[in-house]
Amino acid sequence: MFSKHVTKDISAYCHGELSNEESKRFAEHIISCVKCRTKFEEIKLGIKLAEQLPQLTAPDSLWPEVESALGREVGIVSANPWPWRARIAVAAAVVLALSVGVWLYNRQPDLHTGSGKSGWLVTTLDGTPKIGSENISTRGSLSIGEWLETDEKSRAQIAVGTIGNVDIDENTRVRLLETQPTEHRLELARGRMSARIWAPPRLFFVDTPSAVAADLGCAYTLSVDDKGDGRLSVTSGWVALQAKERESIVPEGASCETQLGTGPGTPYFDDSSLEFQQALKKIDFDKDPTNRTAALDSMLSQSRAKDTLTLWHLLPRVNDDERVRVYEKMESLTPPPAGITREGVLNLDQKMLEQWRYALQGSWGSSGGKGIPKLGEKSLKGWPTLDLKDPAKK
Amino acid sequence: MERRAAMAEQLINGQVIEACQQGDRDAFQCLFEAYKDKVFSIAVYSSGGDRTLAEDITQQIFLKLFTAIKQFRGESEFTTWLYRLVVNACLDERRRSRRLLHWGDTVPVKNVSDKKPQERQYARLEVAEAVRGAIEELKPKFRLPILLKYIEGLSYEEIADVMGCSKGTVASRLNRGHSQLAKRLSHLNSPSLWGE
Repeated sequence: MFSKHVTKDISAYCHGELSNEESKRFAEHIISCVKCRTKFEEIKLGIKLAEQLPQLTAPDSLWPEVESALGREVGIVSANPWPWRARIAVAAAVVLALSVGVWLYNRQPDLHTGSGKSGWLVTTLDGTPKIGSENISTRGSLSIGEWLETDEKSRAQIAVGTIGNVDIDENTRVRLLETQPTEHRLELARGRMSARIWAPPRLFFVDTPSAVAADLGCAYTLSVDDKGDGRLSVTSGWVALQAKERESIVPEGASCETQLGTGPGTPYFDDSSLEFQQALKKIDFDKDPTNRTAALDSMLSQSRAKDTLTLWHLLPRVNDDERVRVYEKMESLTPPPAGITREGVLNLDQKMLEQWRYALQGSWGSSGGKGIPKLGEKSLKGWPTLDLKDPAKK
Repeated sequence: MERRAAMAEQLINGQVIEACQQGDRDAFQCLFEAYKDKVFSIAVYSSGGDRTLAEDITQQIFLKLFTAIKQFRGESEFTTWLYRLVVNACLDERRRSRRLLHWGDTVPVKNVSDKKPQERQYARLEVAEAVRGAIEELKPKFRLPILLKYIEGLSYEEIADVMGCSKGTVASRLNRGHSQLAKRLSHLNSPSLWGE
């Protein structure tokens, strides 16, 4: 798995300079290699910064100076310019004609690459989906800013460049927002989509009305209802669900609800009891403190060892009294390793929370040895910043 | 302005170059219009942001181009030939002036993280300014591939042709250039700034 590090290929990968086979090998390695992934994040930032470099405009005074110097040094002439000008006029006409041709060609579905600025390849799975106002029978191309819409009888599949596929279910509306070497971004306005992405973490994003799903190398299903609330279910790897003030990481076999105005709730395992899930929903989204207290009682009584995923995420989200209860339940299920104190956890000591998380992740199901991913920069309002490394070894 | 230059660049073909070789003034001007902004940009970034010096370098590059264009035989792409002149002129100027740049020479960069959405456009301008400062401070061997990539839009193979090195060396130098930019400007790694 760690046969050969790929740090030297990171820029080439981001610039599309690797072959499809090399790109696939690169992505497969980087998903499982902490060292290369850390370097990837750094170089990705460098590329984003370099892309901001503006092209400058030369001053108009430059040509008269060059022309004057040319007259002295080269001896430019103006004799017999018309044949050349005529040729340039013809060339201009050709360029114009070609431009129109290219424009017309680009209006047709791009069936060749399914990637890049020219659009993503869309394949019909059932019925007749629409891109913009046009029906697509078998294949089409989704360009930046365009909506892909399915009705109750249609489904479609989008090829996300060379990094994965997204299946679009019935009654769904998605829009392509961005496709660049450092970022691919869809908007899911309503409906349901399933993504399978084999790219490095945080390269593929889906915006929904209530949160943003950041891919961390995985497969998942994301749905949004008519109110703008949503649900994420992860079938492989990890996904980070983010909103302005919250970020939840969701592992394989777990789900997370999102609500408009609140953002992502707390992740939970799909095989947890119904009572547990109903109680968690109240804790996450019910404003009535009485309901919350009763819900916390119910949830704690139903918690298993692997549900420390939920409890660990709850620690910074509950009040002081509730935190004591959550901590005591966690301690009874999986006692914290040496060096992590009750007082430190209750005071939300970030290093201790990281250490405990690192110790707990083994019970959070099979992650293919990929390790828990790093939370993004949205570690706001007391959220611990997760790291890929064992904090005890730092 | 950019559109005009792009159109002019599309029109540069064998006939225009042939006309230049015959000393046709209009053909010279057509060639100049097509490439002046790109050449000037590289000159500015390679001269520590000194626009007056960059104007001199740009003028010298075009004079050299027009003087030597008779020797252009079309054995390589014209743009490769032009950018070789640009790269050599910038390296010559650096050797001549032996300008020593220090980290502290540039305008201090404000921390632009945590900007509100309506301020993002302004923040991006600040980022561009910060990037410009950081680019100017890279060693030429890391800076020039970045300029050829992001200003000229060349592929790795084209950059390798211009710089007379292998594609692997280009990839390695871009990697190191990106890495140095990221380290230098790590305080700009803000999701709000990049719209995440």
